[in-house]
Amino acid sequence: MSDLVIAHLYPYEMNIYGDTGNVIALRRRLEWRGLEARVDLVPAGAPYEFAGADVVFGGGGQDRSQLQVADDLQRRAAPIREAVSAGTVFLVVCGTYQLFGRRFLTQDGREIPGIGVFAMETIGGRKRMIGNIVVTTPWGDLVGFENHSGRTLLDPGQAALGRVKRGYGNNETRRGEGAVTASCFGTYLHGSLLPKNPAFADELLRRALRRRHGETVDLAPLDDRLEHRAAEAAARRP
Amino acid sequence: MFRLVVAIALGRAAGRLSRRLGRGGSALPGLIAEKIDPHTIERLAGPLPGGVVVITGTNGKTTTTKMLVRMLEGEGRRVVTNSTGSNLARGIATGLIEVASRCGRIDADLAVIEVDEAAVRTLAPRLRPQVMVVTNLARDQLDRFGELATTAAHAAAAVHHAGVAVLNADDPLVADMAGGAGAVRFFGATEDIRRAMPHDSGLYGPDEPAERPALDLCLELADPDGDGQVIELVASTGERASARLQVPGAYNGYNAAAAVLAARQLGVPLERATAALEEVRPAFGRGQVVEYRGRRVKLLLVKNPAGLNQAIRLLCALPPGAPVLIAINDLDADGRDVSWLWDARVENLAETGHCFGTAGVRAYDMALRLKYAGLEAWSETDFSAALARFVEGIPEGETGYLVPTYTAMLRFLDLLLPGTSKREAWA
Repeated sequence: MSDLVIAHLYPYEMNIYGDTGNVIALRRRLEWRGLEARVDLVPAGAPYEFAGADVVFGGGGQDRSQLQVADDLQRRAAPIREAVSAGTVFLVVCGTYQLFGRRFLTQDGREIPGIGVFAMETIGGRKRMIGNIVVTTPWGDLVGFENHSGRTLLDPGQAALGRVKRGYGNNETRRGEGAVTASCFGTYLHGSLLPKNPAFADELLRRALRRRHGETVDLAPLDDRLEHRAAEAAARRP
Repeated sequence: MFRLVVAIALGRAAGRLSRRLGRGGSALPGLIAEKIDPHTIERLAGPLPGGVVVITGTNGKTTTTKMLVRMLEGEGRRVVTNSTGSNLARGIATGLIEVASRCGRIDADLAVIEVDEAAVRTLAPRLRPQVMVVTNLARDQLDRFGELATTAAHAAAAVHHAGVAVLNADDPLVADMAGGAGAVRFFGATEDIRRAMPHDSGLYGPDEPAERPALDLCLELADPDGDGQVIELVASTGERASARLQVPGAYNGYNAAAAVLAARQLGVPLERATAALEEVRPAFGRGQVVEYRGRRVKLLLVKNPAGLNQAIRLLCALPPGAPVLIAINDLDADGRDVSWLWDARVENLAETGHCFGTAGVRAYDMALRLKYAGLEAWSETDFSAALARFVEGIPEGETGYLVPTYTAMLRFLDLLLPGTSKREAWA
């Protein structure tokens, strides 16, 4: 019996920026504490019960893959929204993050409908926002790499994940980055995100464990010096 | 014609000046020549009696080019190539200018030119290659190239301009280009090699390999990944030939198959083309061995997850305890985004028992990748200190394995062989 179930959404389709590293980090950080995770791969077309998952992860993809999974995601919209309301932990990055908004208007004028977990829209642009990025959040400064041409605009009232300290974030105004609704986190940070940001990784795990096993559960501290060194080095790079 | 003469003269003058100032930059003469005459490349290469061969793809271009040149020279053909130049338009122009006469004649039979996979779309219509080889396509430096689908579309468009396309049947993205080509020849490998060496879609997709077209030349390996591996090539006609390679890894077996199949299109018999492979030494940094303080340092350049997986496969085949230094830089030429480290199958190294160190600007990123694969490593961001520590760990007379990204390799080569990177590297 696993302590946590991690669902990896679209592992073959949306996996362009080393996003698998996020799943590796979640799994390892549990193992180092003597806990066990099961990882369910959920490619497009495969049936899946989101009610059985504790953490759902979805990564970034190329435009073509994003179009391919958009229809599949529509079919899962209701169960995913229910899981978010029920407090399931989600981490969605880049392409999947965009599809968790209301819609994505591509640069060539197409409209890709999203599933509306986040009150936001994304508009394709010419300028690519590329580089190392640092974002201030309640879980410390997150360090990652962004590479997107979509500009994401949050509705008033939609919480962002954090404030951009360096880089672009949601759009060229360089203010907000990502979005948060309940325990569903959306972000443009890859790099991979979780290995270099252990406090945030542990926040996701803690939320998932408490929801599954009770509020008293906590995580033993780990030696994260190497994680911090890698994050510091990345934060200094262009 | 007059423009071309001026272009050649000024381009060469710029090259001389640059060399006198002690800069290696091989792109400058071509850059200037193309500014003066934007048709420099086609005017110089066009009249060659044997035409042009273009070699493109993500990995293996340089080695495949080197192999094909050796085969053709062995047949007594005079070949012009860009072995020391860059594989973008200006570097190719530089290579041609350097061997042209003052009025733009090149005394050679044919040209074999390595072309960057992002530049091939614009260069193929200019070069009108008689043969075009596509080695493979894998995701590489997403911050520079953008999406793999775009690169694949560009290469597919380029194939239209080739007389014969020599394509990797085992790489679905490359095999798909056949539709746009006139004549097509396919190389590939036996099922076990193909499974062990998945290409981009196999690497990221489900495990089942895709259907592939019938092969014109098939690679068989007797001793994969050993030093001095023996390969056997089997033609669809039933002919066979074998060779002991100086270049390591199954991926170089694929490069050998690509070069032999291209040589056959140019009239070189299978047996002679295959025999010529034995003389091919590793290209700069691609399995090259450097003697240093009584030890051997083997360089395995990595540029992307597919390349890192090839290096990992090679390291897995070594006896336990090998010293390995992985050096990751994130300059423009390396790709600024190092997220690809997480895409490689680093977990496969967990059972090797090798001794790992990491170096480069992103030494700690690599150490972290190893940590999450269950491996410990020392880290050193300073290149001299990293080399000293690495070499200290290699017993005298033994071999250590240096796995660097491009600019990290240049830094190490400057330390291992002072002056090399300026002579050999391309800007």
